[in-house]
This record gives sequence, structure tokens and C-alpha cells, in this order.
Amino acid sequence: MSAVAGATPSGPPKERPLLNVEDLVVSFTKGKSTVQAVAGVSFSIQEGETLGLVGESGCGKSTTGRAIVQVEAPTSGKISFGDVELTALDRSEIRTLRTKIQMIFQDPISSLNPRRRVRDIVAEPLTIWKIGTKAERRATVDAMLNSVGIDPDVSGDRRPREFSGGQCQRISIARALVLQPQLLVCDEVVSALDVSVQAQILNLLEDLKKIHHLTILFIAHDLAVVKNVSDRVAVMYLGRLCEIAPSDVLYEAPAHHYTAALLSAALEPDPEAERDQTVLSGEPPSPINPPSGCRFRTRCPRAETKCAEEVPELREIAPGHQVACHFPLVGT
Amino acid sequence: MSVLLEVDDLHVTFATPRGPLQAVQGVSLSLEQGKTMGIVGESGSGKTVLSRAIMGLLPRQTATQTGSVRYNGQEILNAPNSELRRLWGTQIAMVFQDPMTSLNPVLRIGQQITETLKLHLKLDRGEAKETALSLLMQVGIPSPVERYDAYPNQLSGGMRQRVMIAIALACAPRLLMADEPTTGLDVTIQAQILDLLATLQRDRQMGMILVTHDLGVVATRTDEIIVMYAGNVVERAPTRVLFSKMSMPYTEALLRSTPRITNPSHTRLVTIEGRPPDLSAPPAGCPFAPRCPYVQDKCRNAKPPLTPSSVPGHSYACWFPLGTGDRTDDKAGVA
Repeated sequence: MSAVAGATPSGPPKERPLLNVEDLVVSFTKGKSTVQAVAGVSFSIQEGETLGLVGESGCGKSTTGRAIVQVEAPTSGKISFGDVELTALDRSEIRTLRTKIQMIFQDPISSLNPRRRVRDIVAEPLTIWKIGTKAERRATVDAMLNSVGIDPDVSGDRRPREFSGGQCQRISIARALVLQPQLLVCDEVVSALDVSVQAQILNLLEDLKKIHHLTILFIAHDLAVVKNVSDRVAVMYLGRLCEIAPSDVLYEAPAHHYTAALLSAALEPDPEAERDQTVLSGEPPSPINPPSGCRFRTRCPRAETKCAEEVPELREIAPGHQVACHFPLVGT
Repeated sequence: MSVLLEVDDLHVTFATPRGPLQAVQGVSLSLEQGKTMGIVGESGSGKTVLSRAIMGLLPRQTATQTGSVRYNGQEILNAPNSELRRLWGTQIAMVFQDPMTSLNPVLRIGQQITETLKLHLKLDRGEAKETALSLLMQVGIPSPVERYDAYPNQLSGGMRQRVMIAIALACAPRLLMADEPTTGLDVTIQAQILDLLATLQRDRQMGMILVTHDLGVVATRTDEIIVMYAGNVVERAPTRVLFSKMSMPYTEALLRSTPRITNPSHTRLVTIEGRPPDLSAPPAGCPFAPRCPYVQDKCRNAKPPLTPSSVPGHSYACWFPLGTGDRTDDKAGVA
């Protein structure tokens, strides 16, 4: 690009997405049946942004996260991380790149090796990549443990079973951040924790994100939790994206009927809260044999024949607000 | 209204290798016929132990239980199993948290429902099947005739929980205990199950105790709420009163640390630092004192009793309760 003075377009420069997912498909085959757990999902995450990914169990949100970390091989589609196309890499290249993309899992206790000491657990990524001397590694690990609120002098030589779930999750976070990744995929990281501990971990993630300039994909089923940490939120249903929007917009004025139903089913700790009575009936259909057209149509209050015939594509109805619905609630 | 369940100064102590663990430390409550009560607390607060003690499901060898649990005036704490078996199912029934492990995986759904009907109500096979099918219908299971012959693994989590509810309700109990009945279920399914429980409770005029960690679950579906912390009831109030005039700092902290969809994103959550006390060596003073933002010397030395407030039915265990005025300003949960 030529740098002619005054020729730059007005407004802020176009942000560069750190992660770009294009038409991602992940299918699993068992015997004769094939399940498309993720059936064509596209989104991108800007550098420094937190994207929330919500949906109910079986909607493919975790599989999407696992495909990004390359734990699950995508069936088709593209995942680019910066300028690198992940799906085109060989195994050793993926392994190297994974230092930049880290994941934190739901169950903090079972994702830590019970027989190892906390310091060793957090040091392992450094040891594997032979980063620094032994003394440097120890200093890095202790600093990291301190930053997640675990005192290395008191707890560094203990084993995971001596810690509560919340503390184990702090250790998992330390382990994930010790290689200084750019992208962090958090899969239901607070759903096994008590509310008071959950609040601690959510605040911690927000702090660490600022300190380490992290970009986060935050996968969870709890709408309130997702809103709390996310800049933008994507809603998934049965392997496809329904809607993406800035968090405050999505929760204030959802365009997709599924988003609206999810919001109305969320329980607020307030007896005076007005309860929307549009509770969804039925359950999500099997992803083995998904409905034609719009996948949500079998439970949608607004469904028409068009919904059965035509797959609604994700389209922009307002700047930054995309919806996959023929008859959206806002911005027709 | 007649009192259905009355618990008085219930203590439950487990014998552990590290010494006695005082899981429930003097809990009293009462529930009237046709009313719903929420028991709220975090893990380790004693809410599940309390509900199992009421049911008589705790192991006698390791759990010492003192105090009193009266069902319909009859003392049932430490009653022999033969006596309890006459109450279970027909008078008191329970819905457990995990519908996968609470159902027998090798028995068909229908069999698991008719089992109780044949045992307690002495129905014959035909009658039992008919009743079971109508129960499956009542709990909202589509095509009950096919589901009757299904095994638990053929049903979704929500459907299994409906089956659990059908089993619990089979013999028309007067008291239903539900321990985290929707934890682990999806939001839309959770709403369905809670609505179902509420409808059935109303129609059958059952007493219901809803045990949960989630203030959102009990906010709109209970008449009264008990908040537990470290084996103690720390606040008790009619539901609306609890949310608008809470007096116990723990209740406030619990509410403020809950993320809410009505708050803007990136709202800083108020956290409760520290951890609940070790129940094998409970502190001398208020159990919440080490974590309480308003703690004073007295709190560390003397345990506050459950004290009634000026509002009928409201009591709290705190030496320095939150302002007695209307605290709606704190209700938003924003720091």
C-alpha cells in the first residue's frame, strides 16, 4: 500500500482480526451416521477483543473452540490466526503455533495432573519448550502463580487435590498463560464453580486480559456470565450461528428468535423481575438429522414455510450486528 | 394452614479421620402444606446434608443426627428404616440433582415408575401401567407410550429429569424435596422443569423444598427462602423481603457476586474473598466473620443467634445487620 499523505480514508484504521473462522465444518462419523457438530460457522475476533460464544449443550460451541485449538480436526473450512492458515499446517507447525493459542477447560480438578506439584504443572509448558534456565523458569512460574492469586511459597509444592475448584482453575489459568499466548479459548471455565468463586475468576480473567493483552474466545452456556466478560457475543444453535452482536446490543435488542427465547428463559435473582412467558417448548432436534432450512424452525414461534425451504444466511442488519433469520425481531 | 414439616435445632455431625465435621449446626425451619421454601447456599454450606437428614437418607454409622424432624407431627429423625419406608414415596419424595445416575440404567423407564406404584399403592400391572402413562403425560413427555419402554440412556437430560419427577410424584406425596433439580440442564430446559414443578406443586397443594445454589432459581418460585452458610441458617425471610430488605452481609455478597443480564458488560463483580471455614474446626464467632467486609471484634468472638427483624417471618444471624431502612438501592447488585 502506498503511504501518500492525506490519502488515508477517514475514521480509525480497519482492525486486523487475530482469528478468522470461515465456514468451519466439524463432523463426526460413527458407523453409518455422520453428525455435523459444527455446520458452517464463520466469525472473527479482533485483537484484544473478548468474543462470547453461547448456546445450549450439543450446539457445537465446545467443538468450535476445540477446532480452533486444533484438538479437533476441522472437516472443512478455514481457520486463520493472524496471517497463518491453521488448517494448512502440518503437525509440528501446529504444535509450535499452539504456544500462541491456549485453552482452559471446564473441570479444573481433572484437567490438572493429580500426581504433580503446582509449580511443576505451571512450569511444564516452559520445560517442554526449553524456555529459559531452570532458575528463570522458576521465577516465571512464581510470578505467574502470584498474578493468579496463588502464593507460590505456600502452595507451590502442593498437589491439586489440596486445592478447591476455584484455586485449581487459577492454576489452570496460570499454566495456560505461562507461554504468553495471544489467544485464550475458555470453555465453560466457571460453570463448575460457586457464585462467589465464579466472580473471583471472572474478575481475574478481566485483569489478566489487560495485563497480557489477551484475545479471548469465551465459551459458556450462562448468558449473564458471558455478557459480563464479552465485548461481542455469538449465539449458536445446532451447529450454526444465529446471531452475533456487541454484547449490550444483543441483550438489549436480540434479533434472532432463539436469542430472545434464551434471554427470556434466563433466571434473574430478582423476585420483581418481569418474567417473559415465551418459554421455548420442546428440545433441540438431533444434529444427526437436522431440520431443513433454518435449524431453529421446529421450535420457533415465527416459523413459516420459507424457513423450511431456505437456509437463512448470516447477514448484517446493523453495523456489527449479524443475524441468520428470515424474519428477525429487529432490523428487517 | 397446617404445618407439614418442622425441623428443630437439627445438628448433623460426620465422623471423619480428621475428627467430627459439623455439617449442620442447629437448623430450625417449618413448612406449611402447599408452600414452597428455597434453601440457598454454596457448596459445603450444608444444604444438601440438611435435605438428606430431613429425608432420613444419611448413613447412620457416620452421621450423628440430633434435634428433631417432625413430619405431620410425627418424629422421623433417626426413625427406623421400616418406618421411613412407609413415608418415602407416599408422603415425602425427592428429586435428585443428577438424573443420569439416579435412574437405574438397566431398567426401562416404565418399570421404574410402576415399581413404586405396585409397592406402595398395591396397584396391579395394568393399573400401574395406566397410571405411569398418565404421569409421563403430566410431566410433559412426548409420546409416552414409546418412552415407557425406553431405557434412561435413550432420553435427554431434560427428559430424564421429567422421568425423575414422574417417579417422585407417582404416589402423590405431600412433601416434595428437590435438590438442585435443574443444575446441569440447559437454560430453556431449566425454565421448563421449574415451571413444571411449580404447576404440579400448585395443582397438588404439595409442600416443596427447593435446594439450590442459584438465587435466580428461587427468586420467583418460592414463598420463603433460607440462606445457609457453613452449616448454619444465616438468614430466613419471605422471598420478596429477602431480596429487598436483606440484613445479613453474606446474603448481600452472594447477590452482588452473581452476574446479571441486566447489567452492562464488563461490570466489575463484587467478590467474597477467602473461603468458608473448615467445618471440623468451626470458628468461635460468626462463621462469615473472616470474609465479611463489615466485620467487627464482637463478630469474631461470639456467634450471632438467628434474630427476628421487624418484618414478620424475617430473621437473620448478624450482630451488625445491614441498614434497617429500605435497601432497594443495593438491589441492583452493582458495585
